[in-house]
Amino acid sequence: MSAISTRPKRPRFDVNGWLFVGPALALIAIFMVFPILHSLWMSFQSGLGMRLSFAGLKNIYRLFNDPLFLMALTNTFIFFLVQVPVMLTLALITAALLNNPDIKFRGVLRTAIFLPCVTSLVAYTVLFKSMFVANGLVNTVLINLGIVNVGIPWMTDPFWCRVMIIIAITWRWTGYNMIFYLAAMQNIDRSVYEAARIDGVPTWARFVSLTVPMLKPVILFTTVTSTIGTLQLFDEVSTITGGGSAGGAAGPGNSALTLSLYIYNLTFKFAPNLGYAATVSYVIVLLVAILSFLQFYAARERKA
Amino acid sequence: MSDVTLRDVRKSFGAVEIIKGVDLDIKSGEFVVFVGPSGCGKSTLLRMIAGLETITAGDLAIGGDRMNEVDPSQRGIAMVFQSYALYPHMTVRENMGFALRFAGLPKAEIRKQVDEAARILELEPLMDRKPKALSGGQRQRVAIGRAIVRHPKVFLFDEPLSNLDAELRVHMRIEIAKLHRDLGATIIYVTHDQVEAMTLADKIVVLRSGVVEQVGAPLELYDNPANLFVAGFIGSPKMNFLKGVVEGGSAGRADIRLPDFGGAVVPVALKGELPAAGSPVTLGIRPSQFTETGDAALPVTVDMLEHLGSETLIYARSTASDLVTIASQSRSNIAMGDTMIARFPSSGALLFSADGKRIY
Repeated sequence: MSAISTRPKRPRFDVNGWLFVGPALALIAIFMVFPILHSLWMSFQSGLGMRLSFAGLKNIYRLFNDPLFLMALTNTFIFFLVQVPVMLTLALITAALLNNPDIKFRGVLRTAIFLPCVTSLVAYTVLFKSMFVANGLVNTVLINLGIVNVGIPWMTDPFWCRVMIIIAITWRWTGYNMIFYLAAMQNIDRSVYEAARIDGVPTWARFVSLTVPMLKPVILFTTVTSTIGTLQLFDEVSTITGGGSAGGAAGPGNSALTLSLYIYNLTFKFAPNLGYAATVSYVIVLLVAILSFLQFYAARERKA
Repeated sequence: MSDVTLRDVRKSFGAVEIIKGVDLDIKSGEFVVFVGPSGCGKSTLLRMIAGLETITAGDLAIGGDRMNEVDPSQRGIAMVFQSYALYPHMTVRENMGFALRFAGLPKAEIRKQVDEAARILELEPLMDRKPKALSGGQRQRVAIGRAIVRHPKVFLFDEPLSNLDAELRVHMRIEIAKLHRDLGATIIYVTHDQVEAMTLADKIVVLRSGVVEQVGAPLELYDNPANLFVAGFIGSPKMNFLKGVVEGGSAGRADIRLPDFGGAVVPVALKGELPAAGSPVTLGIRPSQFTETGDAALPVTVDMLEHLGSETLIYARSTASDLVTIASQSRSNIAMGDTMIARFPSSGALLFSADGKRIY
């Protein structure tokens, strides 16, 4: 053995190393990899309950002729296209406002805006339900302020039902996203803004041309996570509109039926069709993959 | 006309006064350097001139117009920051042209101005790069370019070279001096580095704890410091301060006894009144003033030697362990631990009273 190669060669298979990661790998394999692969296999099967048989692409054909699936897909896209931009814009603006050192009670305000995402889901949905019923708090306030003459049919009109859901999830998740923006803003060198002030850049332009571009990586991150969250929207539509309860439709005319809720219904509420539910699940996987790719592509670093 | 005048300018943060009444006249085209130790208020004073900090009391005028309440962008100033403060997502060209977009200049004109600044600063090959693809020195040049395109009356530099390595610092120092010569603009420059101050300034303002200690040309401050602080701050290596007691004297001469140096008595030329015998004073001698033929003599022990090639720095101690730095031009064969007699001409020594004021 020469003097140079005194260091032992790293073996391809090191028992000690595998023993350390083995338990974690086993758990991941059993509880993540296997279910993912098995559900992919299930998506090509059909049948009731456990009595599945291979069906090829039948489930995929069924998707295109299933009015409930198309309704859920449309609703999910409406929520995604309206709610994500509204929420992220709102989060960005509140973060910019609460980053201003001249604002009083900043800490209290930040906490207040952040709190919704850590409150109990059940408590908040019960509250929202009671606030948005025909003669609930929201309508009473709107009527008393003279903004509307007749109460808004939050629970009985498809349009307003979707608006209510959007308000609810926006209320819940704006503060969460705001924290990311705030943290990123506090990392921006203050002298950049001072240079802009001296350069005569107006306040709005400092926000649009400096803050927003410098937050691009964080905006991309929140967009992707919010997209995934919205495509998987289940909690609110299930509890507020009663879509999760036995026999209840998700809002008037299933106007708040989302893909996740539909998967739940296919599996646990209707005659259980696990194969078809798995196919719908993979629709979400595909959508998340495509949308995330598009977002990363749109936010890529352009070569000069 | 781009004179800058400050009249009794003050700044307080709550109950704490940071700038305690500064009066200053900066003439058009002058290169003025604010220098002082950290926390002396030099950057705050610069930011007050820029309009990034409000002025608590007093008057600031640029070009004869009162500027206290004027927006930073309307003061006719441009500022270069220590951190460069470049817009990270914009190219060099966009960084330099950004301000002009909001000044309402047509695109062709912006291009012309930016190209002109790029030519002056030799940035042409870098115009389409983003700041992160530039070296520290290049970033600083872009920051200067961003200032130049606005054709300001006054350039403000806030420790612009502090983030650069030593070699680049010397290089950029020369570039900034050249720039001043070529543009002829008024420059106010903040630094804690007295070498930068000495080499760049037409006029140095020495600040300590929010008070101007002395204003003057670099050599004037070096030769005629008004007090102990300025004497110690300007010049490298630092001036030696020796504790002494007035022994006696006559008109125009004071005999100072140095108890820490075996009671050596140094006759110092005196302009003002002779202080009372026995009053404590401080004698100031620059390391370079020591010569072999001086009339005053100090017995010392050599502690450390630094051979710099052009000169040798001798760090020596008195009997009472007071440190004395001696710059020797000759390459003598002194070794550590040797005892020697350090000589200097008494006519060159400076005398300070107990409260730090210069008495000669």
